[in-house]
Amino acid sequence: MPNIPQSPLQDGSAATDADLAALLAGKRLVAHSLQPVADVLAALSAEPSPGELAGEARALAAFGRRAGVPVPRRRARRGTAGLTPRLSTKAAAAATTAVLLSGAATAAFAGVLPAPIQRFAHDAFGAPNARSAPSAPQPDHARGKTAPGQFASRAKSKAGAKSHGQGRHPGRHGHGQPGTGQGQPGNGQGSPHAKGQGAGSSGQGQPGTGQGQPGTGQGQPGNGQGQGNPHAKGQRGDPHPQGQQGNPHPRAKPAAHHARPARHGSAMDP
Amino acid sequence: MIGDEFASLLAAAQSGGEAAFSRLWRDANPALLRYLRVIAPGAADDVAAETWVQVVRGLRSFRGDEQAWRAWLFTTARRRAIDLARHRSRRPETPLDDVTVAQLPSTEDCAEAALEHLSTAAAIALLSGLPRLQAEVILLRVVAGLDTESVARLLRKSPGAVRVAAHRGLRRLAQLTADAGVTL
Repeated sequence: MPNIPQSPLQDGSAATDADLAALLAGKRLVAHSLQPVADVLAALSAEPSPGELAGEARALAAFGRRAGVPVPRRRARRGTAGLTPRLSTKAAAAATTAVLLSGAATAAFAGVLPAPIQRFAHDAFGAPNARSAPSAPQPDHARGKTAPGQFASRAKSKAGAKSHGQGRHPGRHGHGQPGTGQGQPGNGQGSPHAKGQGAGSSGQGQPGTGQGQPGTGQGQPGNGQGQGNPHAKGQRGDPHPQGQQGNPHPRAKPAAHHARPARHGSAMDP
Repeated sequence: MIGDEFASLLAAAQSGGEAAFSRLWRDANPALLRYLRVIAPGAADDVAAETWVQVVRGLRSFRGDEQAWRAWLFTTARRRAIDLARHRSRRPETPLDDVTVAQLPSTEDCAEAALEHLSTAAAIALLSGLPRLQAEVILLRVVAGLDTESVARLLRKSPGAVRVAAHRGLRRLAQLTADAGVTL
C-alpha cells in the first residue's frame, strides 16, 4: 500500500496554539487548514433562528410572575416571618431554663436531690444539707460510740435538726450508750439550733425505750450560752428528747452535738 | 453579547422591566439552547426553560457584569442539565417494542451533516461528535463567550486543562472536517 504523504495541516495537528486561540476568539482569518473549523465555529455563533426565540413568552410569563411582587413588601414579610421564629425560640429557651432552675431549687429545698448536688445547693444558696444515704455503710464510731468531741470540726456547720428525724425509729439502730450524752446538754441549750442536744442526740439512750433520760439535760443549762432561748428544748425538759430515743442514723451529725460540748465545756460532762 | 448597555438593562430588569428582561433573554437564550443541545440532547428546550425560571428567581440579587451574567446563566443551565440526566438515569427505560422504526433516532453521520449544510444545527451535530469536555469547552468559549478562567470555574477545571481541552477539541474538529473531504 503506497504511503501517501498527508498534509501536516490536514488534521489540525500542526496548528499552532496561536491559531487555535484566534479561532476561539472568533477570528475568521486563520490558517487555511483551519478554515473549515472556523466555518463551524461561525455557524455556532450565527444569528438566532426563530425556533430559538420561541420560548420568549414562557420566560416573560415567569418573569412577570416574579416581578409582580413588590420588593419592599416581600422583604418586610420575610423579615417579620424570620423574626417571629427567632423570638419564639428565645422565649421557649428562657421558659425552659426558668422551669429547670425553679424545679432544681424546689428539689434542693425539699432535700430530695442526690447528696453531692444537695451539698452543692446547700453551699450555694442555703438549701438544706444532704442527708447520708440510708444504705451507706456507717462507721462504728458514728453510731453513738464515738467519744464526744471527735467530730468537732464537722460540728461547726452541721449541728442542726437532723437528729430529730433520726430518732423516730427507736430501736432500729439505737445502740448507743445511754447516758453518754447526758452530760452535754448545757452546751446545746446555748445554741439556738441545738434542738436535741439536751438529751444527747448522738444516738444515745436506750434503744426501744424512746424516752431516755429527758431530765438529764435540764440540770446543766448554766453554761451561760443559751439562757433566755425559748427554743432550747433541753431547757424546757423535752419529754421526748429525740437523741435519746435511739437515733437510727446517728453517724457524724449527731456526733457533732458531742463536739459542741467538747469545745465549750467538756468539764460539764458527768 | 450586549456590551455597554448591559448594566442598564440588568438594572431595569431587576426593577421589573419586562422589555429589559426580554432583551437579556433574546441575547442569551439562543446560545443557551445551542449549548444545551450538545450537553442535554433531547431536552434542551425544557432545561432552558427551567434555567430561566431559576434565573428569574435570583435576578434581583445578581451582581456582576455581562461576563458574570453569562457565567451564572450557563452554570445554572449546566446544573439543571445534570439534574435532568440524573433523574432520567433513575427512571426505567421505555422498551422499544412499541416504537416504530420511523421513530428511532437516525444515526446520521455528524460530519456528513455538517458538510451538506453547515447550518447551526449541523455545527452542533458536528460538535457533538467530540468528547464531552472538549465540546463543552468549545461551546462555552465560542457560543457563550466566556473566557478561559470563567470556563474553568464553571467546569471546575484548571485554566490549563481548559486550554488543553479547547485545543484538542479544535484539532479533533479539524480532523473531522478533513475526514469528511474538505480539501485543503
